[in-house]
Amino acid sequence: MDSWHGLLHGLAVAATPTHLLYTLIGTFIGTMISHLPGIGPSAGIALLIPVTFGMDPTTALMMLAGIYYGCMYGGAVTAILLNTPGDAAAVMTVLDGYPLARQGRAASTLAIAAISSFIAGTMGVTALAFVAVPLAALALHFGPTEYFGLIFFALSTVSALTGDSLAKGLMSTFLGLLLATVGIDLQSGVPRFTLGLMELQDRVNFLVVVVGLFAVAEVSRMVEGTMEGTLHIVRVKGRLWFSRAEWRRAWPAILRGAGVGFFCGAAPGLGGTIAAMLSYILEKKISRHPEQFGKGAIEGVAAPEAATNADTCGAFVHLLALGVPGSGATAVIMGAFIMYGIQPGPMLFNSHPDLVWGLIASMYIGNMMLLVLNLPLVGVLARILYVPPGVLLCIILGIASAGVYSFNYNTFDLFLALVFGLLGYAFRKLDIPKAPLLFGLILGHTLEQSFRQAMTISSGDPTVFLRSPIAAFLLACAAVSLGMSAVAKRRRRATLGIAQERIARG
Amino acid sequence: MRALRAETALAACVILGAALYLWADSMLPPTRIGDPLGPKVFPALVGGGLILSGILLLFEIRKKRRSPEFAAAATQQASADWRRQLILCAMVAWTAIYYLCFDWAGYLIATPVFLFGLLSHFHRGHHVANAVVAGGFTAVVYALFTLLLGVPLPTGPLPV
Repeated sequence: MDSWHGLLHGLAVAATPTHLLYTLIGTFIGTMISHLPGIGPSAGIALLIPVTFGMDPTTALMMLAGIYYGCMYGGAVTAILLNTPGDAAAVMTVLDGYPLARQGRAASTLAIAAISSFIAGTMGVTALAFVAVPLAALALHFGPTEYFGLIFFALSTVSALTGDSLAKGLMSTFLGLLLATVGIDLQSGVPRFTLGLMELQDRVNFLVVVVGLFAVAEVSRMVEGTMEGTLHIVRVKGRLWFSRAEWRRAWPAILRGAGVGFFCGAAPGLGGTIAAMLSYILEKKISRHPEQFGKGAIEGVAAPEAATNADTCGAFVHLLALGVPGSGATAVIMGAFIMYGIQPGPMLFNSHPDLVWGLIASMYIGNMMLLVLNLPLVGVLARILYVPPGVLLCIILGIASAGVYSFNYNTFDLFLALVFGLLGYAFRKLDIPKAPLLFGLILGHTLEQSFRQAMTISSGDPTVFLRSPIAAFLLACAAVSLGMSAVAKRRRRATLGIAQERIARG
Repeated sequence: MRALRAETALAACVILGAALYLWADSMLPPTRIGDPLGPKVFPALVGGGLILSGILLLFEIRKKRRSPEFAAAATQQASADWRRQLILCAMVAWTAIYYLCFDWAGYLIATPVFLFGLLSHFHRGHHVANAVVAGGFTAVVYALFTLLLGVPLPTGPLPV
């Protein structure tokens, strides 16, 4: 099925009343989650996975994807009104969004953010539909050697590009790989590193790790937030629309941001935060008024918002076409795919065309729903910001506990989530990125299997990875990304540092 | 300075943990049926990678110590917030007690008590609102999971 026919077929699947309803629920929940500072898309999706038990996988995945892009869409609201990004990717929106809101232009800034997200999201989904099919066709020729190279490349880039330190990124990745080795080895039947616990024989539950690492750990951040002082919310006044002059400045930034964002999403490991940061730097560099950036330039909101939303679509390219997640949240969605018994990857387009095309088409519909949710209803939805953080953190912990228990009906998972919550707290305090751990955990099993299969085929000759041109190319790219990371990180630290300092100053 | 000390401790913990992991890996039986590598080689590579990342972190710390930025930052006195740490520890302990009682007391008893306890600290002085939130949240989640989703939550001694 080519992309045009696939999209039309997908629209027919996504436009059924049940799928429309669950796409709406997903986007609505995603928007609400994005309004809760601290709870990002990864934790939000993981918390909601138990709700999808018993659902048709297509419906469930449409809802979970809706939560993801809904979250990225709405992250700007808290960034603009509260000076706090709703998710990490909205950190650059704070730089100009909050100053604009303080100047009494909150309504027009929110409108620009919503329109930027809509345009970039629609462009991103279109690009996803047309890039994923040829990529999946190419990946059909991949054997274990090439898959090893691909996963090694993905893990290297995520280690090199997330966080401030290469050592910490690698540490997080290897910790994820270590966790992936826990349980019974399927080839030999030997239980490995289970500490004699029956519950660990069937491997460490990925979703328990996600809820612990993200949701439970973020509760600790909220605890510290409630103790540190109050948040100052800018009220939305006036009509939610923008002037012609603002639009003239915003639209080229939206197009550039969408391009940068999709490229970053399609490169595994770069993620929404880097996409937003690169698009912001680009806008500032080419602007005729660079001095306005940081004080209230509308391009400083339009470009990062477009980039984060296009990045979401780019992240799905890898997941659907190669079976390798492009971001932390798509890693959680990949966990959901596996839980429903579906292996994402190149075969998905042939084995589950309804699911994959329905999912892509539902993103078009979800984008339209988000525009409605984020324009006329933004004032209503922003009321969630007025819920006391002390109440919110208790509710999040309550939902996380019930959700984790429902995975296996086992209190062992609750304690495991608590342990990972403490680990997540330590990660935050020590500035260790969490996404590489997720990548390592979810891809570790496939990486090991590909490695062992390739070595079996070559009778134990490790040069097999250099004899395959694709694998050799991917391994060389991995080496380059690791080598280059130290230089790039210093520049990134400086740019992100400005945003974080602004948030800290309030 | 404290941050660098914490990072040094992290590097040491990672290297030590990886050494333990490699020791546990060496104790695995060397089964190689139809597989030239067996179950031990991949974990050995992972353990080796962890040790390398720990050593790399030590190099990064050494580099940071020599940088002028660090010298400027080191002059600023960091104050320890023991109260915050104490509250977080108490919260973890309270959550662990809740999980211990989860099966035994049942969701409908353990959850409102747990939530009311937390809310009494984090939303002080609003006893009625806290009781309503704790009870209401428990009832809604229980109904959602057991009635709508068919996911059984423990009932404890209650004849639900």
